[in-house]
Amino acid sequence: MTGFTTRSIHNKYLKQDPHNSLHFPVYDSASFEFDSAEDIEKAFLGQKPSHMYSRISNPTVENFEQKVKGITNSFGVVALSSGMAAIANLVLAVALKGDNIITTKYLFGNTYSFFEKTLKPWGLNVKYADLTDASSIDGIIDNRTKIIFLETITNPQLEIADIKALSEVARRNKILLVADTTITPPYLFDSREFGVDIEVLSSTKYISGGATSVGGLIIDNGTFDWLNNDKLKEDAKKQGPHTLVAKLKREVYRNLGACLSPHNAYLQSLGLETLALRADKSCSNTLALAEYLEKQPEINNVNYPGLKSSKYNDISRIQFPNGAGALLAFTLDSKEDCFKFINQLRVIRRATNLNDNKTLILHPASTIFCEYSTELREEMGVSDTLIRLAVGIEDIEDLVDDITQAMEVLK
Amino acid sequence: MKIKINGKKEELENEINITELLLQHKVEIPEAVSVQLNGKFVDKEKFKTTFVREDDEVDFLYFMGGGKS
Repeated sequence: MTGFTTRSIHNKYLKQDPHNSLHFPVYDSASFEFDSAEDIEKAFLGQKPSHMYSRISNPTVENFEQKVKGITNSFGVVALSSGMAAIANLVLAVALKGDNIITTKYLFGNTYSFFEKTLKPWGLNVKYADLTDASSIDGIIDNRTKIIFLETITNPQLEIADIKALSEVARRNKILLVADTTITPPYLFDSREFGVDIEVLSSTKYISGGATSVGGLIIDNGTFDWLNNDKLKEDAKKQGPHTLVAKLKREVYRNLGACLSPHNAYLQSLGLETLALRADKSCSNTLALAEYLEKQPEINNVNYPGLKSSKYNDISRIQFPNGAGALLAFTLDSKEDCFKFINQLRVIRRATNLNDNKTLILHPASTIFCEYSTELREEMGVSDTLIRLAVGIEDIEDLVDDITQAMEVLK
Repeated sequence: MKIKINGKKEELENEINITELLLQHKVEIPEAVSVQLNGKFVDKEKFKTTFVREDDEVDFLYFMGGGKS
């Protein structure tokens, strides 16, 4: 089996289902029993492949992790309760007080808040750089830098860094390259090919089947030598390539309790099976809408990496050959115009999410980024006149018609 | 031939490779097991070419949540 969809549909179960169920069942049980005290001891020592308690592991969640592992050819996968849980678990597993992360201010608002408001008071520092200029990164790396953190396509600025170039910087300095691939999950982006060590993503979006449930993933490509990480090097001497997954499963993930529920794992396993079909449709819809919007005099600055006019079009084609994602942005003349336009839409929904089957519209400055000052928002590339459109899989004619009628309020 | 598996002494008739040891030991879900030989992990690709010898210590481990970090 070589095809992405075939592999996502026909993953092999680790244990045969007693009823030969074609869909892996939902094991909605908090706890699992054992035949003997010796068996429980073995399970707790990691010598027996048994589930004990669903906060730590669960058969349905494990099956979802195995599916993701199969389609990504990765070394290890941990499924969590959300994309933010994935970022939090990863950072807490690999970094210590006094360490720093290099990233960009063009970050998802909640990730920026996590770095600035949650981590900084605990002594973890964040350095902001222009990740589209990889040569500028070497100069700010120091001996406490643990991670270069990027989003494959930033949200909502839609900036794209040269990930291979960043990977070379990370390799040279023996630090971890982490990519948030929420906008371009597996199928749209092959993180191994571009030298990413760890993927973190919100599986709430594409993978869940079009926003059916909240979830997150940490995908370890097995490419980082953990002996190079101060915090984990002693573990690495014993655990080798298993170091991160062991640190998560036996400590950080277990202790933080941000586990994926079995029911959500079931929904996300189903969603994975149709990911490629939905991604193809939403990416082609997005390109068609972007090309349409570009021709409208009422619309300013249409931004979509799939557009030939985008300065990121070349790098987008290289890094995301199956499509440049389903997020586009544009500006209108004022915040008031943005609100009027948004309120006029009849098919497109007003909601904060992306890669839903439905097309969703949002005014980022007054929502995801509302906690930040106007000046900081400008630094983050989020102006008051910016609109984000997260395109779904509807029939394109209906989306074009809806936008066309809504634009009447701008005339 | 005396070896230790997960800390317990065991007897083997001959030197065997890791794949054979997993089968002989009826290890559950062999696709998911990680094997340490004398404290070092063995790559899955090398299971067939890695042999267990006298006084070796072998650990079968699963990273499902149990175990000491």
